[in-house]
This record gives sequence, structure tokens and C-alpha cells, in this order.
Amino acid sequence: MRTPRILKPFAQATGMPRTLLYSGVIIVLFFVILAIFAPWIAPYGFDQVSADGVRFPKQGAPDSAHLFGTTVQSTDVLSRVVWGSRTAIEVVVLALIFSLTIGVPLGLISGYVGGKLDRTLVLIMDALFAFPYLLLAIVIAFLLSDKLGQGVVTAALAITAVYIPQYYRVVRNHVISVREESYVEAARALGAKRMTIIRRYVLQNVIQNVPAIATLNAADAILTLAALGFLGYGIQPTEAAEWGYDLNRAIDDAGAGIWWTGLWPGLAIVLLVTGFTLVGEGLNDVLNPVIRARRLRKPKMDEAEVEAEEEPSHA
Amino acid sequence: MNSQGTSLRAYVLTRLALAIPTVLILLTMVFGLMRVAPGDPISAALGGRVPPEELEQRREAAGLDEPLIKQYFQYLGNALTLDLGTTINDDRKVTSIIVENGSATLELTMAAFALALVVGISIGLLAGYYRDTWIDLSGRMFGIVIYAAPVFFTGYLAQLLFAGELGWLPSSGRASPIVEFELDQVTHFYLIDTLITGNWDAFWDVLQHLILPAVTLGLLISGVLIRLVRVNLLQTMRGDYVEAARARGIPERQVVIQHAFRNAMVPVVTVAGLQFAILLGGAVLTEQTFNWPGIGAELVRYLNERDYIAVQGIITIFALAVVVVSLVIDLINAFIDPRVRY
Amino acid sequence: MRGRRIALAAIAATSLSLGATACGGDDEGGSSSSGEADTLIQGTTDQPVSYDPAGSYDLPSSNIIFNVYQNLLQVPPGGNAPEPEAAEECDFTDDSGTTFECTLKEGLKFSDGTDLTSEDVKVSFDRNLAIADPQGASSLYLNIKSVETPDDQTVVFNLKAPDATWPFVLTSSGAAIVPAESDPDKVIPSDQVIGSGRYMVAEYEPGQQTVLEANPEYTGDDAAQIDRVIIQYYEKSSTLKQAVEQGEVELAYQSLSPTDVEDLESQDGLSVIKGPGSAIRYLNFNEDLQEGSDEQKLAVRQAVAQVIDRESIADNVYNGTALPLYSMVPAQVKFHTESFADEYGETPDVDAATQTLEDAGVETPVPLEIWWTPTHYGPASGDEYAEIQHQLEESGLFEVTLESTEWNQYSEAAFTDKYPAFQLGWFPDYPDADNYASTFYATTSFLNIHYSNPEMDDLLAEEKASTDEGVREEAFAKIQELGAKEAPMVPYIELSQVAVAVDGVTGVEDTLDPSYIFRYWLVSKD
Repeated sequence: MRTPRILKPFAQATGMPRTLLYSGVIIVLFFVILAIFAPWIAPYGFDQVSADGVRFPKQGAPDSAHLFGTTVQSTDVLSRVVWGSRTAIEVVVLALIFSLTIGVPLGLISGYVGGKLDRTLVLIMDALFAFPYLLLAIVIAFLLSDKLGQGVVTAALAITAVYIPQYYRVVRNHVISVREESYVEAARALGAKRMTIIRRYVLQNVIQNVPAIATLNAADAILTLAALGFLGYGIQPTEAAEWGYDLNRAIDDAGAGIWWTGLWPGLAIVLLVTGFTLVGEGLNDVLNPVIRARRLRKPKMDEAEVEAEEEPSHA
Repeated sequence: MNSQGTSLRAYVLTRLALAIPTVLILLTMVFGLMRVAPGDPISAALGGRVPPEELEQRREAAGLDEPLIKQYFQYLGNALTLDLGTTINDDRKVTSIIVENGSATLELTMAAFALALVVGISIGLLAGYYRDTWIDLSGRMFGIVIYAAPVFFTGYLAQLLFAGELGWLPSSGRASPIVEFELDQVTHFYLIDTLITGNWDAFWDVLQHLILPAVTLGLLISGVLIRLVRVNLLQTMRGDYVEAARARGIPERQVVIQHAFRNAMVPVVTVAGLQFAILLGGAVLTEQTFNWPGIGAELVRYLNERDYIAVQGIITIFALAVVVVSLVIDLINAFIDPRVRY
Repeated sequence: MRGRRIALAAIAATSLSLGATACGGDDEGGSSSSGEADTLIQGTTDQPVSYDPAGSYDLPSSNIIFNVYQNLLQVPPGGNAPEPEAAEECDFTDDSGTTFECTLKEGLKFSDGTDLTSEDVKVSFDRNLAIADPQGASSLYLNIKSVETPDDQTVVFNLKAPDATWPFVLTSSGAAIVPAESDPDKVIPSDQVIGSGRYMVAEYEPGQQTVLEANPEYTGDDAAQIDRVIIQYYEKSSTLKQAVEQGEVELAYQSLSPTDVEDLESQDGLSVIKGPGSAIRYLNFNEDLQEGSDEQKLAVRQAVAQVIDRESIADNVYNGTALPLYSMVPAQVKFHTESFADEYGETPDVDAATQTLEDAGVETPVPLEIWWTPTHYGPASGDEYAEIQHQLEESGLFEVTLESTEWNQYSEAAFTDKYPAFQLGWFPDYPDADNYASTFYATTSFLNIHYSNPEMDDLLAEEKASTDEGVREEAFAKIQELGAKEAPMVPYIELSQVAVAVDGVTGVEDTLDPSYIFRYWLVSKD
């Protein structure tokens, strides 16, 4: 059986990219499992402050009853870290879905249709891209919180706004190069409908670049979510456990020598972001050994072709 | 020479022309965002605290009863002449926020950036040079993990350790209260201000305050640079002229140092400049963590107070700064590297 | 020359204290930072709005105003009745209690050297009312019909209605005396204000610091003991706490989190000074937005009052830096009664609450939407409401949805019928029970929660109009009892004032009293 296109990089990977890719996948999977099975893995609810009628200690040091200690609100740190991974994964998935469903079609159409529409969209997306992303997310989260409240959806939408331009750019640039490929030309000559060409030939080809960007963006999404939470524009503490918010609260504890309320949520962020980055970097290495990491780059049109070139994997 | 001059001028003109729509789009975005905000700026900040008639009066004075399109052009005009209004809550000129707090942000970001360049370039070069060895792996991992750690977490750990546990460095602020008071604010850059007055003790105090925030932010950016430098070095080392140098029998070490390193740096330095946006975002969080009185901290404060005039002014400045910086970098790039122009 | 010497001393102190903390934070860490004996460095998280008495109504601004200006009357440290400050004497001069006359002391001067006359007093009030700044407290002085100045030393207030609290009103920060030349229609920038008090504002940088210097023209009692006070602003309690630990500031006041206070208590070289507080926290119910019949609305409020565990909030959230509160009038204020304890018992009573709801035919669990704000009432607000949510839900009688938003929006929405139930706090404009009673229970209350009871309004008018202690005491007892029965708002804690001083700073305990005025002139350094 042929390996599905999307899994190809895993099969092709060798050497360091393989190490990066696999360790990243393991880390991410670990958190996904935490997220899915949070109710069974976490010893308590994320806002539970007592069990069997006994109140948890306030800012209690780690012990056998609370492996990671308890917070200023007497909640269990371990439970909050576990439930926090559910929040993080939820937001990332939602943000990915939103930005993919908007960014990819926009890029496809803009790249394939070209002309005025393309030029206008490029300008707008470049402007968005140039804007300090965190500020954009803050302002959008802030504005949305009045209408939608401070929940998972608001956070995801704020993050989406930041990442649409990235998907748009990658997809559009790729489409422009694929458009001129002989098999697409052939299909066009045979009288295939525009939408069919886009869907069957262009999209199929373009889509395989998406996982690398998606994972790198997922890493950034976690960081943005945590930053929003840290600044108080994230998710309401009573709606879900969120690492950034917990870190914000933990800073007040730090001066009093209470390290456990901040260390664990902080490590969780670092670990999950590292996991996503490793997967992304690994995929990049495999798909295109000389590609520059996507999110570090400034959009520049003349680079589209370079990037779209698919070089054989160097091991 | 002549043709090069023409193409350079053509490039500069094109680049300048391209900057105009970008500025317009960004400003339109800012204007749009601020109008989507619930309520108008005046009622958001003062509603419920002044009688309705006065609210109306203030709105009129602020030109908020004008048609939207007129307000828009007014805003564009004001933004382009850097007339950003006065804050609603504490009656400060937005331009003075930019001078006073912006200088704090610049001081922090410049120190951080300098550190990031040193750390990022050296680790990146090492990782690239020793590709696929443990040095490469640890260099890359350092870059990845340091970038994966939010500044407020790194900052929190640094505060715990260096300010709390060891007590070596102050945990927050830009200077000790008394230095702050005694300081003659000439340039608003404290390091420079203390230097030109020859006040070494104050200089030392300011420097101590700068260390933790600058290192925290600098390491974050170095994470980005490590990757960049590494990849660029790898690309250059496969370049024709490097191959040619090798073919001429020049020792590998010399090839790398004389040819690859130098050429790898050109794109790095220019692309590094474009980390400006990340730097600004990171600065907001760093300032918040270290109580650094920068423009990012002010933005958050004014957002919390719903002072939309202040928020709009600060974001406008950010937007303009981003465009100007990328413009300048592209132009520098064009002078250095003729290939860019085509 | 002088400036340079101070800077040097401070630097030496900083590096010294750094060394000291490095070896375990022994007692040198604190005292070594003292810089010079004539400069006090205070840290705070509270940022002022304006140092113009016409432009502010908030605690940090009022604090500076009390140090920079004089009022006709003031509440002396630890006292609970107004006494003359700029005035030689003041009194009602008619039987109806609508004419109030003050004679000024001789020889008062503003810090710019000009004389302080009755004209300045008149302008101060007229100007405040004319500017009516939204951030200001002009509403406190609306009872003024006119201010007359028969001669340079005499001021006569003609009031619209009899007001026994008028002497107290004159002690509020908005009643501070500014020069007659002050801009009549605009708030003066904070770094340009001029007063006749013990200190002058030497420098003000928003978000960074305020610097006060002793006013050489001040002629009154209790002149400043310390020549210069630097007030440094911190974003967070945790950074303020580290600053006082490292000796960067010598005094931390308003607001350290309960966690930080507890930790500082055990440290050498510092002392944690607690004083009685008169700042209260209470939960409001908007009657227009509550569900059900009037009887059912009442039952829900009563049930909440019965279920809330005030002790637990004070102990668990505030680590004992707060006390349970059983009346809108806090315990340190004269005429306080324990009305909620009398009505519902001191400890929570879920059975009684269940009964109350059942009798009124309210279906349980009752859905409650409660709003709170994270940006106005200190770092523990979130914990406070998480705790209240737990308590209410644990009873099985309520299903609580917590909502929060930042202060500016919150303060608008709360008073314009957007929140069915919401958190508020209060610290007094002046330490009289009236400031805790008519402010909330009057039909015209700023709360706009649609609580209105003619009986209550009559009682309030009675206590306000009478200067007779006995009459007022009886009226306040009835007001508090009725307030507990109808529970339009449920008080739950009052906060203690906490200051942390490094060793060598003395006199702080003298100023921590229910008036909530921080009097720098009482503080000195060894």
C-alpha cells in the first residue's frame, strides 16, 4: 500500500530530522492524551478546592495528596496542569481549523486567479503580517471579549487573526508555482473546470506543505494563548484551567518562595511548544532541507519559487 | 555603474511607493479595530461617570458626531502628521508617552537585541558548522527551547533565582527610586543620561536594572536567530563559490571562515532586523513581567482603562514603526546586496 | 551638590543591601537602605488619578492631597470626629443647621508664599462644583447653596438642606483648599498643584514616581519630620514585596497580597504594621434584574446572606488581613451594629436558607450571575469570588456563573442595569456612619440597584439632619437592621490596612486608622 502523502515525511525521515520529528511527536501525543483523558488523569477538577468535605490547603507545598502542591485558591496544581492541556489543545485545534478554512481557500483563489484581487490581498495580508502579532491578538481578544465573553472561542479567534496571513502566503506562493506546472497546464488544455483544477491538482499538491506550517503555528498559538492569559485577556479562570493565567497568578507567589504554582504550568508550556516546534522543524528538514523556517521570514514575493521547489531529501 | 545607479534608484522608489499602501492599510486596520470596539472612546472611558449631556458635549468636542468617513480622513491626517491626541483618563499627550515610555522600550529592546545577536550568531554558526553533530543538536535544541519558553516564564525563573534566591540583581523597574528621582532626563535613555552626567554609580544602578529584562528578552530573540544563522550557513556552504574555494584546495576551516561566514551574515543581519515585530510583542510581556515602564506596559494599562485614544495612538505608532523599520532594512539591504534589487 | 550626595548614598545602600540579601537577608538588608535620614522611599501599587482636589476621588490621590493641602477641618489620627485644621473654629450658626461658619487661622500661606484667605476657600468649592470632573467628588458638595466671605478670615457655607455630616464633608479630600488663582474650569496637572499643607509635589511622573518635599511655608502643627518622600509605583504586589525585601523601598503601603504579607511577617529587618481598616467589600443585587416576584427576589438575597461564610473568606482568601463584616457600617466606625449576624446568625446556615427559598417558592438551584472586576479591588479579588462561588454552590441552593471585566467598563455597566449581582468595595470619604448608609441605602444611591424604601429614606434623613448623638445612634441601628432584613447588598468583609516598614522607620502605626489617610508627617526615621 502506498504511504499516504501526509505521512510521507515520517517514512522518509532519517538521522537528525528523524530524531527531532519523533521526539516532537511523542511530546505532542503525550499532551493530546492528557487533554483527551483529563477527567480520568487529573486527580481533581480544575476548580475543585475540597474533597470529601475536607478543604485543600492554601498554597500547600507538594506532598502525597497533591503531587504538585496547591494554589492560592486551594486548587490542585497537578489537576490544573492536566486540564490546562485540554484548554491548550482545544484552542490550538480551533485556531487551526479557523485559520485553515479561511487562509487556505483565500491563498488558493488569490494565487490561481491572480490579477487585481491577488495584488490587493497580498498587500493586506503583508500589512497584517508585519503587525506585531501579539498586539493584534491582544486587541482582538479584548474587542471580542465584550461580545463573546472570555472563553476558548474568543482566544482561538484572536489567534486565528494572527495566523491567517501566514497560511495565505504559503499557499498562494505555492499555487503560483504549481499553476504553471505541465500537468496543470494539461488539465486546463483538456478543458477541466477551474474549480476542479484548483481542487484536484493544485490543492492536492499544496496541501502537503501545510503540516509543517501548521505545527509551527500551533507552537506559536500556545505561546500566544499563554501570553493572552498572562495579560488577563485570555480565558476566564472560572471557565477552564489555562497555563498562562496560572503563571500570572504564580508570580505573586514567587516572592514568598512558593515556586510550585508557577513552575509546572510554565514547564508544560515550554514542553508542548517544544514538541510542536520539533515536529515542525523535523518536517521542514525532511521536506526541504534548505528551507528557512517559515515563521522567521519576511514575506517577499520573489522567494515564492525558491520555497516551492521540492528538493529531494538529503540525509 | 551607471546602470546600477539607475536600478538602485528605481528600487528605492518602488520600495517607497510600496510602503504607502502598507501604511494606509495598517492605519485603516487600526481605525477599523477601534471603531469595532464597543461604544465610542469617550463613553467607554467616561460613561456612567458623567451626565449624558456632558458626554454628548465631549463627544462633539472630540469630533465623534462627524460622519465616519470624515473621522477616518481626520484620523489619517492626524496619524501622518503624528498628532495622536491626548489621553482621556490622565490628559497626557500621546506623543509624550511615546517619547518617555518609548525610550524605555527602545533601551530595553536594543540591549536585548545586541545580546541576541551575539548569542544567536555564535550558537547558530557553531551549530551550522558542526552540522548533524551533538553540537548542532544541542545548539538547535537550545534555540527551540528558549523560544518555546514564554518570556514571562523565563523572567519569572530569573526573578526567582537572581533577585529572590541569590539577591544579586533588582527584580523590577528601570532604576532605584532615588536614582530615578535624581536623574536628569536629557535623552530619556537612562544609560546615556547617566553617562553624560558622569554619574557612574547611577549608571551602575541603571545597568543592574537592565540586566534581567534584557537577558530574558534577548535570549528569546536569540532562539530565532540561531535557526536563521544555522540555515543560512548551510545554504552558503553549498553555494558555488564555496565549492569553488574548496576546489582550489583552500583548507575547509578557511573556506568557512573567510567565505561562508561572511556571506551567511548578509541575509541574517537584514532578516534579523525584521524580528522587530516579535521584539515588540516580546517587549510587552517583558515590560509587564519586570515592571519596566515601557510603551508596551503603557498600552496594556490604557487598554485596561479603556482609554481608546491612548490605545489607538500607541498602536498607530507601532504600525508606523513596523513599516519604517522594514523599509529602512530593505533599503540597507539593497545597498549591500545588489541581487535584492531585481 | 546635595542631589549628588543623596544619589551616592542610595547606590551604596543598594549594593550593600544586595550583598546582605545574598547572605540570607539578615537585618542589614532593611536598615542599610535608608539612603539619607531626610528621604523616605515608599512603594505602592496604587496609582493616583490627579492631585487637584477637583479632579480625583480615589484613595492614592486623596492621600497625597491630604499631605499637600489643608482642609478647614480634619480628622485627627485615630480620631473619629472633625477638628480644625486651617480653620481656627467652625460651627453651625443657626438652629436649622443650614449655615456653617468657619474662621481661618492667622498667617496661613501657600507653598508659593501667598496668603491663604477666605477667598481661596470659596474658590476651592466653587471651582470644584463648576468643573464637576467625572473623576472628582463634586457630588459630595452639592448641598452648598452658596459660599460667602464676609472678611478675609471668615467663610460662611449656606446649605440647601440641614446636614449634620457637613463638618465631616469638609474633611474629605475634595474640600482641600487651593489658591484662588487656580484655573477655574480645568483640572490642574498633578505636578503643578499648590497647597498650604505640610508637603509640596516636587515631581510627578505617572506610573513611575511622585516626589514630595517639605513645604517651608507651612506654619501649622505637626510639621513634616522627613524632608522628602519618594513614592515609587509598582505594577504588582509581588514586585513591591521584592522591593521592600531588597531595601529598594523603605515602606510598602497599598497593596500587598495576603500571601506576600504573610511571608514578610516572618522576615527580620522588617515590620508588618496592621491597622484597623474601614474599607469594605459587599455584593449588590440589582432588583430590576433579579428573577421572580418581589418576595422571591428578597428570599434569594436573604439566602445568599445566610449561606456566605464570611470567616472563611477572611481566613482563606485574606489570610486574616480581613475581618468578617456583618453590616455595611464597619466595626471601627461609630454607630456600627452587627445587624447581619443578628438577623441571620454569625455562621452560615444552609438549612435556614433552604427554608427561606422554599417559603418563597423559589426553585433551587437558583441561577445567579455574579460580576466582579480584577482591576480595581486588589490582587485577591479573583480568589474572593472563586471562594464565594464555591460557598454558594456547595450549599446546593445556587448555580453561580462568574463574569468579570476591567474596571472602567465594569463601573459603567454595574450602575446602568447590566449586572444582576456585582462586587463592590468602599472606603470612606470621611469616617462617619452616614458615608456607609445614605450612600448605599438611599433611593437616590449611585448604586442604581433600584432599592427603595420610604422608611429607609426617612431614617436616613433623620440621622443626617440631627446633631444629637442619641437620635443618630437610634436611627443608624434601625437603618442597619432594615438593611440586613432587606439585604439589597450583602457586606462580607472589611479589610485591615497593612504597611510594611524596614526597621528604623517609625510612626507608621499612628497613621493607620479608619480615616484611610496616610499622613507622611507622622513618619520619621531613626
